[in-house]
Amino acid sequence: MPKLTLNGKEIEVPAGSTIIEAYKQLDEPIAHYCWHPGLSIAGVCRLCVVEIEGNPRLQIACNTQIQEGMVVNNNSEKVKTAVKWGLDFHLINHPLDCPICDQAGECELQNQYMEFGKYDPEMAEPKVKKRKVVDLGERVVLDTERCILCSRCVRFTNEVSKTNELGIFNRGDRSEVGTFEDKPLNNKYSVNTVDICPVGALTSKDFRFKQRVWYLKNKPSICTGCSTGCNVNVYYNEEGVFRVKPHYNKEVNGYWMCDEGRDIYKHINRKSRMLRGRYKQNGVWCTTQALEVAKKAGQKLSSFKGEEIAVLVTGQYTNEELNSLVDYSVNKLGSKSVFHWKNNENNWQDFDGHLIRGDKNPNTKGLQGVLQKYAVGGEWKELENQLSKFKAVVVAGPENQSVYFDIKEKIESLKSLECVVWFTAGENSNFEKLSDNSYLIPQKTSVEKNGHFTNHQGLTQKVEEVTTILPEALNLEETVSLMLGNSLDLSIRDKQEMGVLKTNYFSQERGSL
Amino acid sequence: MFKLSDEGVAYVKKELERYETKRSAIIPCLYRVQSENGGWVSPESINYLSELMDLPVAWINEVFHFYTMFNKEPVGKLHVQVCNNITCCMLGARELTEHISKTFEMGIDELSKDGKITLSKVECLGSCDTAPMMQINDSYHENLTPESAVKIIKDMVHGN
Ligand code: SF4
Ligand code: SF4
Ligand code: FES
Ligand code: FES
Repeated sequence: MPKLTLNGKEIEVPAGSTIIEAYKQLDEPIAHYCWHPGLSIAGVCRLCVVEIEGNPRLQIACNTQIQEGMVVNNNSEKVKTAVKWGLDFHLINHPLDCPICDQAGECELQNQYMEFGKYDPEMAEPKVKKRKVVDLGERVVLDTERCILCSRCVRFTNEVSKTNELGIFNRGDRSEVGTFEDKPLNNKYSVNTVDICPVGALTSKDFRFKQRVWYLKNKPSICTGCSTGCNVNVYYNEEGVFRVKPHYNKEVNGYWMCDEGRDIYKHINRKSRMLRGRYKQNGVWCTTQALEVAKKAGQKLSSFKGEEIAVLVTGQYTNEELNSLVDYSVNKLGSKSVFHWKNNENNWQDFDGHLIRGDKNPNTKGLQGVLQKYAVGGEWKELENQLSKFKAVVVAGPENQSVYFDIKEKIESLKSLECVVWFTAGENSNFEKLSDNSYLIPQKTSVEKNGHFTNHQGLTQKVEEVTTILPEALNLEETVSLMLGNSLDLSIRDKQEMGVLKTNYFSQERGSL
Repeated sequence: MFKLSDEGVAYVKKELERYETKRSAIIPCLYRVQSENGGWVSPESINYLSELMDLPVAWINEVFHFYTMFNKEPVGKLHVQVCNNITCCMLGARELTEHISKTFEMGIDELSKDGKITLSKVECLGSCDTAPMMQINDSYHENLTPESAVKIIKDMVHGN
């Protein structure tokens, strides 16, 4: 491993590293736009310049390999001046419309200006005007005059999504990023270009103008969109979750995630949730707290014999939850009739070669493990064929209903049973069809609980509570415990008001602008 | 639908073999398309070329937009390109351009009334020693005066 000196500090780096990688390893600040660890090197922004001892000219750190004994710095006056005026060049034709730009607050032009710039602009020339609000299809909007031509997005479509839609057209100060004839950028990974765009040139249609980023907090989590289990950051505030972005994990998703995975927050937010628990008696639905419904359901289930009860499970719960449910079924209810409900069986095995899988559950492997442990488990078909054998069914339904196209059919088939207990995070109008003695128990979503998911490759990843969207909702372990007749201290949660949408408390803390 | 002639297709195939990467063949192929498409390259013909060369359409568009010698709009039969770079300008290229424009009653990058001529200003064409100069289609005309330039164009319009 070669050794070198960076800004006076000795450091050892893997052979073949570039100077910028050494800076990153040391966690020393270095200006840069075009370099991205997940893409090839372009060397076009010229901001990462460093001074190498014995070298008369400044060189770019992203495209210079480390040599044994190099002495490098980026804190000399010479480098600082170069970076400062380099930044001014980047801003020559930049519209500086930060007040109406969605990137403000997480913009590299703003950040780097504050860190390395702070000059008084010396450009008096009128700016070159370019096209704004160019519609690039379903998910992305382009503002060509904000673009600083770093080419990250172009390299992304060439190297990662391999769809090659983007290019830089024209030349000099007229250069414009775009697609041929503004064709839509409808590849399945398109929003990654929004993430890597250092400025507000590419913005997400879904997120645009929904929330200023400084009113959002974020915490890491796991995408529940499919069995790949991409690592993500969830951005949220008191109003709910606003977006999901990828979080680097070399083993799983690298720097990226798919577009569909970004939509998972939609079924997490209140709008699509089952807000209160309910059960049906004498033809009427009674609405009450989730925990009350769980208790009632537990009592009802205990009136059936083990062989009269079937359990239907989706891979949408954590290992801990699934374990408690299956244990409850086998050891408490005395039923070994546990069945696995899969989303769309036909494309269950699909894989697009990059990240997206047909198995749209975060924890299929985990579920299979639990079923194996208790020596139970069958397919839906088997349950369907012997449905008349059963009087009651317990369903751990999907959190993400949008990928379970057969949810209506399942409700139709199961409503003939004497008793249906359904755990669900989301609301669904088809639940109304269920007959007497049906119990609907609101569940937490993946961002509201702690536990583990095991992805398709058998890697077990932790999810930690990010925020609470519905204080009343339970996780499966809590539900099972309540069904067993235990009491649960939910007093803290109960205090929070339910059913009322909170206003953005951050907006009240804004102060004078 | 734009299509290259059989010879044109054969030419593209040959160019594709010629370089290490297919991308390098874009310029000669675009030239071919321009000449078979009446002097300009249409979006439709870029799509066609992308399929023929099996290259992403954005890559071809990048090259097409970078170079001014590919015309983005239809041009007249005679494409008069007057050099407006330093040497030529010092020797009267601006006045020359103005004169041509007035004589044939057409603006820059516009078609003349009869639809036969397009006038453009271009950067240095590498013929500074014979400035001022202009290029009409594929030929250079050098050491111009306003009168000689107009005569050359008129002669060409009348088919000499
Ligand atoms: S749109 Fe963004 S990512 Fe793409 S080249 Fe411009 S600044 Fe870079
Ligand atoms: S590939 Fe799967 S896990 Fe990854 S972001 Fe997409 S849906 Fe989520
Ligand atoms: S980061 Fe090195 S040149 Fe852009
Ligand atoms: S300046 Fe006109 S040919 Fe060079």
